[in-house]
Amino acid sequence: MDVHLYLSMMPEALIASMLPPEEFGVYYAVGSAKKSRGQAMFFELNPGFRHEYFDVEEGIRRCVPHEDGSPKRSIYISVYRVLEHVSLEALQTLYLVTQDGRSLALQSSSEMPQETSGLHLYQEIAPVHPLVVSTLGPRQFYELIVKNPTSLLSLPAVCFVELRLDQLAQDPERGAVGDLPYSNITHLRQCLVDLRTKIVHTKMVNRVEPASFPYRTIKSGIFVGNQKRLTYFPMPSQNELRTHHYRWWRSANM
Amino acid sequence: METIWLVVGLISGLMSVGVAIWLYVWVNRQDEGSEEARKVAAWIRQGAISYLKKLYVALIMIAVVLALIIAIVFGISKGDSVYGLKMAAAFVTGAVFSAIAGYMGMTVAVSANVRSATAAERGLNPAFDVAFRAGSVMGLAMVGIAVVGMSIVYLLTREPEIVLGFSFGASTLALLAKAGGGIYTKTADIAADLVGKIEVGIPEDDPRNPAVIADNVGDNVGDVAGMGADIFDSYVASAVAVMLLGVSLSNEALQIKYTVFPLILCTLGIFASLIGLQLVRVGEDGKPGRALNSGTIITCALFAVMVVVLVLLGDYNLGVLWATLAGLVTGVVVGFTSDYFTGDDRPPVVETARVSSSGAAITIITGFSYGLVSIVPSVIGIVAATLISYYLTDASGLDGVYGVGISAVGMLAVSGMIVSSDAYGPIVDNARGIAEMAGMSQEVIDIADVLDAAGNTAKAITKGFAISAAALTVLALFAAFAGEMRAEGINLRLSLLDPLVIAGVFLGAMTPPLFSAMTMLSVTRNAFDMIEEVRGQFARNPGILAGTSEPDYETCVALAAQGALASLIGPAFLAVVLPLVIGFVMGPEALGAFLGGAIFTGIIFALLMANAGGLWDNAKKYIESGMFGGKGSDAHKASVVGDTVGDPFKDTAGPSLNTLITVMSLVSSLFAPVIAAFHLF
Repeated sequence: MDVHLYLSMMPEALIASMLPPEEFGVYYAVGSAKKSRGQAMFFELNPGFRHEYFDVEEGIRRCVPHEDGSPKRSIYISVYRVLEHVSLEALQTLYLVTQDGRSLALQSSSEMPQETSGLHLYQEIAPVHPLVVSTLGPRQFYELIVKNPTSLLSLPAVCFVELRLDQLAQDPERGAVGDLPYSNITHLRQCLVDLRTKIVHTKMVNRVEPASFPYRTIKSGIFVGNQKRLTYFPMPSQNELRTHHYRWWRSANM
Repeated sequence: METIWLVVGLISGLMSVGVAIWLYVWVNRQDEGSEEARKVAAWIRQGAISYLKKLYVALIMIAVVLALIIAIVFGISKGDSVYGLKMAAAFVTGAVFSAIAGYMGMTVAVSANVRSATAAERGLNPAFDVAFRAGSVMGLAMVGIAVVGMSIVYLLTREPEIVLGFSFGASTLALLAKAGGGIYTKTADIAADLVGKIEVGIPEDDPRNPAVIADNVGDNVGDVAGMGADIFDSYVASAVAVMLLGVSLSNEALQIKYTVFPLILCTLGIFASLIGLQLVRVGEDGKPGRALNSGTIITCALFAVMVVVLVLLGDYNLGVLWATLAGLVTGVVVGFTSDYFTGDDRPPVVETARVSSSGAAITIITGFSYGLVSIVPSVIGIVAATLISYYLTDASGLDGVYGVGISAVGMLAVSGMIVSSDAYGPIVDNARGIAEMAGMSQEVIDIADVLDAAGNTAKAITKGFAISAAALTVLALFAAFAGEMRAEGINLRLSLLDPLVIAGVFLGAMTPPLFSAMTMLSVTRNAFDMIEEVRGQFARNPGILAGTSEPDYETCVALAAQGALASLIGPAFLAVVLPLVIGFVMGPEALGAFLGGAIFTGIIFALLMANAGGLWDNAKKYIESGMFGGKGSDAHKASVVGDTVGDPFKDTAGPSLNTLITVMSLVSSLFAPVIAAFHLF
C-alpha cells in the first residue's frame, strides 16, 4: 500500500497515511471511535516531499498496515509551524471535506481571480485564525501580511479564504444579509463601515474565528502563500457544484 | 325515487372504487427503476405495511370488544337483540371499510413513490402523473367505499341510527390511524433530524441515517393512511348526522327525501371528483401546485353546478342549495386561508423568519401568535357557513339545523379531489427521498423538489379544509345528539346557570388540550428512545457514517411502530370512555355541555397547532432558501427549534383533534338513547 503525505489546514499538521485522499477525508472528518470529527481541509503533497524541519522518513517508516492487514490511517509527523516549512511546489490537490466526510478536490490555477470592487472579507485558516475585513483584494492582502508588511505583524506563510459579502461589499450599512450566515452581523457591518470612514486597509472582525465556515460562503477560492509565491485554488461556481458535485454540495450546505 | 338515488349512489361508489382499482393497476405497471431504488422502496414498503398490519390487529381487538358492548347494550336497551346485532355489524363494517380504503391508499403510495422518482428521469409531467394518480387511488377509494358502505347499510336497514354505527366504526379506526400515524411520523422525523442532521451533520434522506426509512414510512402512515382515515371519518359522520337530522324533520312528508339527500350530494361529489381528476394537468409553466389548485376549483365548480341542477329539477328546498354552496365556499376559503398563514412567501412566515435572528424564544412567540391569529378567519368562515346555512334553510321552510349539517356535507362532498391532492404530497416527498438515497441524478432530485413543494401546499390546504369540515360535522352531530335525546323525551336546555352544565363545559374544554398533551408527550417519549438507538448505532459502528456499513433500519421502524401503538391506549380511552362516563354519571345535559366545550376548544387548538406548526416549518425553509443569513446562521438555528416544536403540533396533535371531537360526538349520539334511560344526575 502506498503512503500518502497530507498537509492538513484544520488543524495545521503534516500527516502520513495509507488511505487514498477520499478515504482519508472520510476518516479525518467522520472520525473513528476516538470521536474526533468535523469539517476538514487538506492538501495532498508530492510523495517525494522532504524538508529538514520534518522527520518525514520516520513517519513513513511507522506508517505500516495494522496486524489485521487494514491500512494505517494516520501518523502525525508534525503539528507545529508546518505550513511555513512546506514548499508550495509540493502542494498537489486541495480537498475540502464536509463534516460528514464528502470530499471536493480542487486544483490550483495559474491565474488569480479578477479584482472586484467593494470590500472584502478574509478568513485566515493557518497559521492563525482571525476573521478580517479589508479594502484590499486577495493578492494585495497576501502581500500586506506576508511579503511586504507595513505593520509589525507579519506571517511567514498563510492560508486564507475570501468569503462572500454580497450586498455588504458595496453597502455595508443597508445591504441585505441574504445567504450569509455570519454571527454578530451588526459588528461585521460596523467593521466594514469603519474601513470606509477610517484610514485603514484591514480591520479585525474576530481574533479567533473557527475555521469551519460554510463552504458555500467561499467567494473565489483558497489562497496559500509564503515568502516566495502565492498559489490560488479556485472554487467552482455554486451552479457547477450543484450540477457536477451534488452530493458534496448537499453535505456542504447542512 | 329515493331508492333509485340510493342505487345510483351505490353504483357511483362502485364506479369510484373501480376507477381507483384501475389507477392502482396502472401505477403498478409503471417502471420501478434501478435496483438501488427498488431496494430503498422495498424498505419503506415493508415498514409501512408492517405498521399497518400491527395497527389493524390492534383495531380488530378494539373492534371486537366494542362490537360486543354495542350488541349487548343496544340489544338490552331496545329490547331487541337483532337491533343490537345490526348496530354491531354496522360498526364492524364501518371499521373494515375504512381500513380497506386506508390499505389501498397506503399500498399504492408505497408503490408509487419509487415509480414517480423513476418517471422523473423522463421529466416533470410523467412523475406528476404517477404521483397524482396514486393519490387519486386514495381519494376515490375513500369516497367510493364510504358511499357504498352507507348506501348498503341504509338500503338494508332503512334506519339512519344504524348508519351511525357504521360511522362510529369508521371513526374508531380514524382515531387510531390518525393519532398513531401522527405519533409514528413525528417520532421518526424528530429522531432522524436531531441526530442525523444536527449531531452528526448528514443531510436529509441520507441512507447513512438509521432513522431515515422510519422517517419515510412515517410520511405514509401519517399523511396517507392517517389523513385519509380522518377525512373518511368526517365524510361519513357529516352524512350520517344529516341523515339523522333528516329523519327528525318536523315535516314528516319530507323526511325520507331529506334523509337520503346527503347521500345524493356525496354521489354528485363523486361524479364531480371523477371529472375533476381527469382535468388535473401540469401546464407548460411546469407548476404542479397550480394544477392541483385548479383541479380543486374546477371540481368545486362542477359540483356546484350539479347541485343547482339537482335542487331545481328535483324540487328540493332552495335552502339546501344555499347551505351546500355556503359549505363548499367556506371549505375552499378556509383551506386557502391556511395557505396564507403557512405559505413560504407570505407575511406571517417572512416575519417569523426575520425575527428568528433574535433567538428561538422570539421565533416561538411570533409563530405561536400568528397561529392564534390564524384561528380568526377560519372561525369566521365556520361561523358564516353556520349562520348562512341555518337562517337561509330556516327561511326556506326546513329546519335550520338541517342546513348546518348540509353545509358540512357540501364541504366534504368533493373529498375525492381533496384527498387525492393531499395523498399526492407524501408520495412525492417519498419519491424525493428515494431519489436521494438511490443516488439518482440531480435533475431527478430537482424535479422531485418542485413536485414536493406543491405537495406541501396541498397538505396545508387539506389540513385547514379537514378542520373546518370537522367543525361543521360535529355541529351537525351535536344537533343530531340533541335530536336523539329529544326522541327519548329529553329536551336539552344548556343553561350556564346549571352547575352540571358548567361542569360539563369545563370538562369538555379540558379534553382537547389533554389529548394533545398525551399525543405530544408520546412523541417526545418515543423520539427519546429512538434518538438513543440512532446515537447507539453511530457509536457502535463508525462504518455507518463512513458509508462502509449499512445501518439497522428495521430496529428504528419497529421502535416507531411499537411506540406509536402503545401510545394510543390513553387517547383512545379518553375519546371513547370519557363521554360515556360524563353521560352516565352527570346526565344528558352535562354531556351536551361537555361536547360543546370539547368542540370549541378542539377547533381552536386544531387550527392553532396546524397553522403554527406549518408556519414554523416554512419559516425555516424560507431562511434555508437564502434569507436572513441562510443555513447555519443564528436565525436558522432558532428556526430549527421552532420547526421541531411545531412538528408534533402540525402533524400529531393538531390534525388528531378533528377525529377526537368527531369520535366523542358520535359516541354521544350513538349511546344517547341508553344514556337518556340510565344516568345518575
